[in-house]
Amino acid sequence: MRDTVANALAESSLSEFAVYLLGNVPGLPPIAQTFHIAGICVVVGSIVLINLKFLGIAVPGQNLSEMIERLMPWMWWALLVNAVSGLLFVVARPIRYFYNPVFGYKFTFLVPAVILAFLVYRLSKRESTFWENSPTRRTAGRVIATISLALWVGVILAGRWIAYSEYLFFYE
Amino acid sequence: MAFWAWLQALPLSEHIGFTWWFPFLESIHVLAIGLVVGSIFMVDLRLLGLAALRYPASRITRELVPWTWAAFSVAAVTGFGLFMTRPTAYVENPAFQIKFLLLPLAALNMGVFQFRTMRGIVDWDTQHTTPTEAKVAGALSLLLWVGVLLAGRWTGHII
Repeated sequence: MRDTVANALAESSLSEFAVYLLGNVPGLPPIAQTFHIAGICVVVGSIVLINLKFLGIAVPGQNLSEMIERLMPWMWWALLVNAVSGLLFVVARPIRYFYNPVFGYKFTFLVPAVILAFLVYRLSKRESTFWENSPTRRTAGRVIATISLALWVGVILAGRWIAYSEYLFFYE
Repeated sequence: MAFWAWLQALPLSEHIGFTWWFPFLESIHVLAIGLVVGSIFMVDLRLLGLAALRYPASRITRELVPWTWAAFSVAAVTGFGLFMTRPTAYVENPAFQIKFLLLPLAALNMGVFQFRTMRGIVDWDTQHTTPTEAKVAGALSLLLWVGVLLAGRWTGHII
C-alpha cells in the first residue's frame, strides 16, 4: 500500500512539478518553510495557549470559552497553510518522507492532536460555555489539555527531527 | 576573528556539532520560536485593532509579553548552542547577518512601545481603534518577526 502510493506519487507529473518549483523558483524552499513555521507559531498562539488556559497556567484575565471561539478559527487556517506548505516538500520527495520513521511519528501525534482540538471546538460551538459548566467537564478539559499539549509539542519536535532521522535510526 | 575560532574549537561546540545535540537543540529552538512569535502576534493584532478587542490592550500585553520573553530566553540559549558549532561561518552568512539586524530592531520596537506608547495607554486601552503609534508598533513587530523567521530559516540553506 505504502509502496504503491509512494511510487505512484514519485512518478506523477505533480511530483515533477513540485521538484521543478523547489529547484527553480528563487528562495522557494526557505520561503515555503517560513510559511510552515509561521503556521506553527499560530498553532502555538491558539490551541497551545487554549490548553495552557485550561490548565490555569496562562492568561488569567481572558475567558476560556471566549478564547476557544476567538482563537480556533486561526488554528484551522494555520493548519491549512501548514498542509499546503508541507505537501510541497512531501510531493516533491515522497519516498524520502514516506519511509522516514520520524515523519510517521509526527503524524501519529498530529492526527489525535487535531481530533482533540476539533472536539474542544465542536462541543464549545454547540454549547458556548461547555467546558466551564460543570466540575466534571472542567476536569475532562484539563485532561484533554494535558494530552493535547504533549501531542503538539511532539508534533513540533518530531517535525524538526524528520531531517535528522539518521541520528535515531541507522539505515543499512 | 580569533574569538569565533576559539568558540568553535571548544569541546562543547564540537560535541553539539557532531552528535544528536544539534537536532535536539534545534527542535527546542523551533518550539520556543512558536511561543515567542505566537504570543507576540496576538499582542500585535490587538495593537492594530484587529483582534481580541473585547480585552484592554494593556491586559493582552501584560499577560502575553512575559511568555514572549521567557520563550525568547529559551530560543536564545538553544540558538547560541547551534551558533557555537560554526560561528566562523555563521557570522559571514548573509541570512544570519540580516536576522541579527532585524532582532535588535524588533527589541527596540518593543522597548519604544513599552516605555513610550504604553504611558498614554489609559486613553485608548479599551477602545477598538488604536492610535497610530500603537498601530505602527504592531505592524512593525509583525513584519520584523516574520523577517526574523525567514532570515533564520534561510540561514540553514546557506551554511
